[in-house]
Order: sequence, then C-alpha cells, then structure tokens
Amino acid sequence: MRRHFTAASCVALALLAGCKGPPAAEAPGLSALPPGAVTPAGSIPDRTKEQNAALGREHKTAWDLYQALKAEAKGGQTLTPSTVPDWSGVYSRPADKNFTFDPDTPAGVATTAKLTPAYQARLEKRIADVKRGIEWDPISTCAPPGHPRWMTEPFLREFVPTPSQTWLINEMVNDIRRVYTDGRDHVAPEDRYPLQNGDSIGFWDGQKLVVHTNQLRGGIYQRQNPDYTEQVETVEIWHKLDDSTLGADVWVYDPPSLAEPWYVQQRYVKLANADKALRIRYWDCAENQNNAVHQTKDGTTQFGNFTFDSDAKK
Amino acid sequence: MSSRRLVQAGATLAICAALGGRVLAHHSAAMFDEKKTVTVEGQVKEFQLTNPHSWLLVDVTDKNGKVTTWGFEAEGPSTLARAGIRPSDLRPGTKLTITGNPMKDGRPAAIWVNAVRADGKAFNPRAGFAVR
Repeated sequence: MRRHFTAASCVALALLAGCKGPPAAEAPGLSALPPGAVTPAGSIPDRTKEQNAALGREHKTAWDLYQALKAEAKGGQTLTPSTVPDWSGVYSRPADKNFTFDPDTPAGVATTAKLTPAYQARLEKRIADVKRGIEWDPISTCAPPGHPRWMTEPFLREFVPTPSQTWLINEMVNDIRRVYTDGRDHVAPEDRYPLQNGDSIGFWDGQKLVVHTNQLRGGIYQRQNPDYTEQVETVEIWHKLDDSTLGADVWVYDPPSLAEPWYVQQRYVKLANADKALRIRYWDCAENQNNAVHQTKDGTTQFGNFTFDSDAKK
Repeated sequence: MSSRRLVQAGATLAICAALGGRVLAHHSAAMFDEKKTVTVEGQVKEFQLTNPHSWLLVDVTDKNGKVTTWGFEAEGPSTLARAGIRPSDLRPGTKLTITGNPMKDGRPAAIWVNAVRADGKAFNPRAGFAVR
C-alpha cells in the first residue's frame, strides 16, 4: 500500500491541530463537478498506519479530526453518477485473524486499544468469564450490532456510493448505514438521541469517502473485545486499496473508555461470485425457534426447548 | 489437486484454525463443549436454511431401533453457500456421518463441524467465512 506523508501536510495539520474547528455552518463548502467529469485527485495524503494513529492523537475529538480532514480536502467535492467510484460486488471481512475489532491485533494480546482503567478491568473480567464458560453477547436476541461493532461482523456486504449518499450494507439483520454527502450537517445537538448506527455525514475527496458518525449507542466492539459508551464517535476514510479490496481507516473516540483515540484499519474483500449465487437475503431473526437463546442466572447463554421438526420454522 | 485448490484448502484450514469453535456469530457458543466432539451416523430428516442459524436435523437409529433426532447448528444460508453447501446437497433421506461439538447439558444438539455423505463428499460449514 502506498502511503506518503509530506512535510507540507505535517505543517498544515499542525496548524489545524492548533485551531479550534469551525462550527458546522461555517465548514468549507462542497465544490460541484460538471456532469461527466473525471473524478479529481484527492488532497488527503496516504499515510502509514503509525501516521494515522498519530493523526488521531493530534485531535481531541472526532469532530476536530473530521474538520481537519475536510480542510485538508479543501471542503471536498460533490461527485456525479459518472464520477462516484465503482464499489460493486459482494464483499466480506477476512476472518483469518478472527473477528476482533482491530484485525491486526497480535496473537495473545487482548486488545490494541488503550483503555481507561475501569474499561480495562471490564475487558479482563469479560475474558476471564469466557474462560470459565460464561459468555453472553448483547446481539443474541437479534439486536443489531450497531456501529462501530458494525465493522466487525463476518457476513456479506455491499457498498453503494451515490453522489448524495452512500449505503454501507451489512447482511446481518438487514443493516444499512447511510452516509449523507449532500452537504447536510448533523442534527442539532438538542435533538440528538442514541441510535444503533448513529448519524453519519461525509464528503468525497477524490475517490475517498470521509465520514463522521455521532449519536451512537453503547455496546461492545465484538465478543471478548472492549465496551464503548454512548459518547463514542468515529471518523472513517473509505477507499479502494486494489480491485478487490475496500479499506476503511477508522478512528474511534470515546473518552470514558479510551485513554486515547483508537485507530484501526478495516478491510473488506470482494468475494468470487462467478455464478452469482451469493445474494443478500432478508434476515428474519425469528424464522427458526431453535435459534432463540436466553441469558441464564449465571450470565451465560443457553437455548430454550428444541423442536427438531418442521414446526421450528415459522 | 491444482495449486489454486491447494492454496484455497490451506486458507480454509488456516481460517478454521484461527476461528476455533467460536464461529457462531449471532450468539455465543458457550452452551457447547468445544473441547469435545460427537460423531453420529444417520439420515437427514430436514435441512432448515434459516437466519441467523441453519439447522441440519439428522435421525439417528440406535441398536434397539430407537430413533433420536439430532440438531446440528451452523451459520445462515449465505455463509453455507460460501462453504459450497446448498439445500440440494442434503435432501431428506440422505445418509451421512456428521461430527460436531456437543451441548454441555447432554441434549442431542451440536455445532456442525463436518458432515460426510455416503458418497464421500464432505461439508464443512466453517469454511463459509473464508474469503476467496
């Protein structure tokens, strides 16, 4: 992967880091492209993983980072149907490193996140419980994973960019994140309430989609992974890494649980589908009663009574 | 076996090893004993392709003629499709030998690990998370 970090960019970012981000209404506007135009090159430089992690630490909040990236992109561009990137295909997250939130977590390491002491203790208890055979996943009753856990689920995915919004689709529980790129702002602070996938706005910088998400609910990043709170916010940069790989640089900010922003690189690989057999189908979580589980008194997971005949299916 | 097939097989094995038994993505596998395996011979009663988990129901007849229906849990239809497992592969009446991680409480259910049809064809749902 080619990643560069120019001295000029360092200077610009240093200046930006020292400035309070402008309020949303004063954010740089999107520059429109004429129909049929070739997508322009972006202004946000490719950076190494270490440089991106450092970039996250330079900014106190996700919103500050998002505004810095937007300034770096000169406000971003409004793409047209002919200039949005081609992200067609059916993708999935490589599972060779398990489903932990940071796919680059070394073997034997619980997490690469720098957690606050209280959340480090919660994670250690969760892992210790699993070793005792005690585990309960909050999505066991078919609640959606919610963002940022949304990024870790191992099922089929589709990504549908359009000029005004992009749909990030996860097969699991028919889960769609909508990223608005038509210049709208987040809803007013006094009207915000926690949502499973939050509220996502973004802009295009060439072929890169930059996203800020707030208004999220608390959750876990994945089983045996840390918790996050309702204060969690993320910044993502989505872009093609090669013909068959879509990448997302992700910065997570959550002051109660994270001692510093957590930067991870997510990858989604286009699946071979020559016979077109892989199709996202409607996910009805209650269609087989044998899938119902409950949490026991000791906190672990257990099935109800089985019905091993056709009556199990609704 | 072609080199491409060898690479695919190697990747699948690596993924299965990395995932271990904890591949049930909707709920924890804590009710199963992943340190044990059970293998039974029987015939397919019904293959229920449902989300979030599919169930392969297998009738097993003991030496006294008593029939017990076992339920083998796997992932949903799309993940099975990625593993090359289709409804037509396991029609009712299909004879097979199937291995799984059994329930800790002794009920006749297990995580479906591998099934081998009478004609020798194997079906491993865990291969469904492989990216290829």
